[in-house]
Amino acid sequence: MNPLMMFGNNNMMMQAFGAMMRGESPKDFLKNLANTNPQLQGLNLDDLEGTAKALCDKNNVNMDELADKIKDFAKSNRQI
Amino acid sequence: MGDSTFSGGWIFAFLIIAVIFGWGNGGVGGNANAAAYATMADVNAAINNQSTQQALAAIQLSSANNNYETSRLISDQNMTMMNQSNTNLLTAVNGFNAISANIANGFNSVNQNIADLGYKMENCCCSIKTMLLENRLQDTQIALQNAQNVAVNAQQSQYLLSQLGTFVPTAGV
Repeated sequence: MNPLMMFGNNNMMMQAFGAMMRGESPKDFLKNLANTNPQLQGLNLDDLEGTAKALCDKNNVNMDELADKIKDFAKSNRQI
Repeated sequence: MGDSTFSGGWIFAFLIIAVIFGWGNGGVGGNANAAAYATMADVNAAINNQSTQQALAAIQLSSANNNYETSRLISDQNMTMMNQSNTNLLTAVNGFNAISANIANGFNSVNQNIADLGYKMENCCCSIKTMLLENRLQDTQIALQNAQNVAVNAQQSQYLLSQLGTFVPTAGV
């Protein structure tokens, strides 16, 4: 599956883009999201960078490449 | 990693979300432990499950509504049957009342006929008595007439005998 299409179909990503555009805190957004999504519970959301790296490492995801994809997606969709 | 378009650590937030919710197998660099995290398929399955739950809730609501409607219909039917029973009982009672009234009227008619019969019998008896008395009077009158005739005949015979010059007061027969 095209990861860009995947993002486009991901409601969580759309919500995150909306929260970012409203100027909300990413930590607060994820903490609120964790209230209704057990997958986020147990993560250290006070250290977003460390948590993101740990998740990418654990899942064998190239963090820089994924970050570029996210940025490209954001730009191509004029979300920022 | 730093980028002017993602301030305040948002890029890490997107990375976390992408890895957990939006990045499954086949993504950048592969995902050997994808089963431990939610993939799009998992999300879609969750959404489908939510749709199923909503449909189930709708079915349950519909079922509850149907049960309520069924109970209401049964209650209405029972009320209708009770009303019909009451109507039938009332009709039966009215029928018995009519029969009782007819019987009472019949007895009254019979009693009236008996009274009339008694009156007629008494009247008839009186007529018979009167007729008997009249017959007796007539018989008496006939007997009197016969006696008078005998007396006249006797006088006539005595006169005739006296004209013969011999009167036998104790003539033998």
